[in-house]
Amino acid sequence: MENDSSKKTILIVEDDEFLRSLTAKRLEKENYHIEVAVDGENAISVIETIHPSLILLDLLLPGKDGFEVLKKIRSTDATKAIPVIIFSNLGQKEDIEKAKALGVDDFLIKANFTLDDVVGKIKKLI
Amino acid sequence: MEIPRHVHLADLGRRTVNPMIFWGVITVVLSVVLILIINASGIQSEVYLLFLVPVIAYLVTMGFFVGYVTKLNRERNLLLADQIREEATKSAEFKKLNQELETYAKQLFDKDFELTLANKRLQNLEQAKSKFVSVTTHQLRTPLSAIKWTFHMLLKGDLGPTTKDQHNFIEKGYESTQRMIAIINDLLNVDYMEADRSDYNFLPVDLPALIESILFEFTNQAESKAITLKCIKPPGPPPKVSADPIKLSMVVENLIDNAMKYTPRGGQVTVSIGDARINSVGSSLEVIVSDTGIGIPPHERDKIFHRFFRGSNATKVQTDGTGLGLFISRDIVEKHGGAIWFESGEKTGTQFHFTIPVNRNNLSN
Repeated sequence: MENDSSKKTILIVEDDEFLRSLTAKRLEKENYHIEVAVDGENAISVIETIHPSLILLDLLLPGKDGFEVLKKIRSTDATKAIPVIIFSNLGQKEDIEKAKALGVDDFLIKANFTLDDVVGKIKKLI
Repeated sequence: MEIPRHVHLADLGRRTVNPMIFWGVITVVLSVVLILIINASGIQSEVYLLFLVPVIAYLVTMGFFVGYVTKLNRERNLLLADQIREEATKSAEFKKLNQELETYAKQLFDKDFELTLANKRLQNLEQAKSKFVSVTTHQLRTPLSAIKWTFHMLLKGDLGPTTKDQHNFIEKGYESTQRMIAIINDLLNVDYMEADRSDYNFLPVDLPALIESILFEFTNQAESKAITLKCIKPPGPPPKVSADPIKLSMVVENLIDNAMKYTPRGGQVTVSIGDARINSVGSSLEVIVSDTGIGIPPHERDKIFHRFFRGSNATKVQTDGTGLGLFISRDIVEKHGGAIWFESGEKTGTQFHFTIPVNRNNLSN
């Protein structure tokens, strides 16, 4: 993934390798620069160094979960304005409400959306 | 308290020395003492006899008198003993009853304890079931997402060109995955509904806008089945309804999805939003989802909202479906304070109606 300064960077935080690669492949087609993180700690350090234009965040992650990552993003001045889409297969009312309370921009249940839908949602935000 | 079972009759009398003997001995001893005193004092025998006879007579009389009183006492004691024995018998009976009562109380307590335990076990089981369902569904959704996205990317040509035949097979694969996801979502919703964790979040909702956005999601499906999808709205904007938008969307999606599933190619699905209607409960909006589908057989009409029920004609045309959609929809509509019903003619189509109460704070809007 070459870094092109004209491209918007999207960070995909996803522990499932295949889902991560499919998502990356689809988003690269839209001419986004893609960065990936495989767990919560990894995500936080990547966000602090590269300041992506948008973050696609899974909830169930090894170590720090997506909620903790979201909390950290929103409580850090440098990162709190970055749009975050939760992209998870969790999606019970409690999860959605918890994410909303933490300031998420959108909440998508993976199985209920196609990657085209995700592209549409991303384009609405950036 | 321990009460003796048998009281011996003589117990109360035996405590004193026999009074007859006692007084006999006293009389003899006193007479001898008196004789010795008189002898020592040198009084003549005729004279001491004159003293001695009344003294002895007095002592003997006293002895008899005391003996008689003692006898009376004994009799009284016998009566008392009888009474005590009677009381003891009663008390023993009472004790027996009390023991029985204690046994029953203990049994009752044991039963209560057993029931509490069983209830606790059931609750644990229920929690385990809910946890199992939600974990399983989550675990199932992840690989299904991978399959769905792969099929979708293949269909869209994101992964290179496919032949027409390949495309058709991939499409079947994609549709099957979609059905499976719908089934999992239904199962998850039923579990959620039964666990009663779903606190409804009632907001003022713009019903026509909500329905239009859902209809938009069905455009592709309608096009591929050559079904005309129409929306009829009232002339002016209706008042907002009081609803949980996520739940209400599920009802609308379910009804449209059913209408699409059971309407043959070239058919028509129409969603109409009625004017606000005022009834005894208040004002509400009515939505009608009508199709030109296979209809519901008359003998199955009373079962249509039952859990896991699927029409006999439905299973012939469509292999998927959990039979949970209408069961869930009715629950949601009823929790909103609305009603859901249908009219159906076999082969002429079905109209599902539901009402949702108007938000009272927005009546003037």
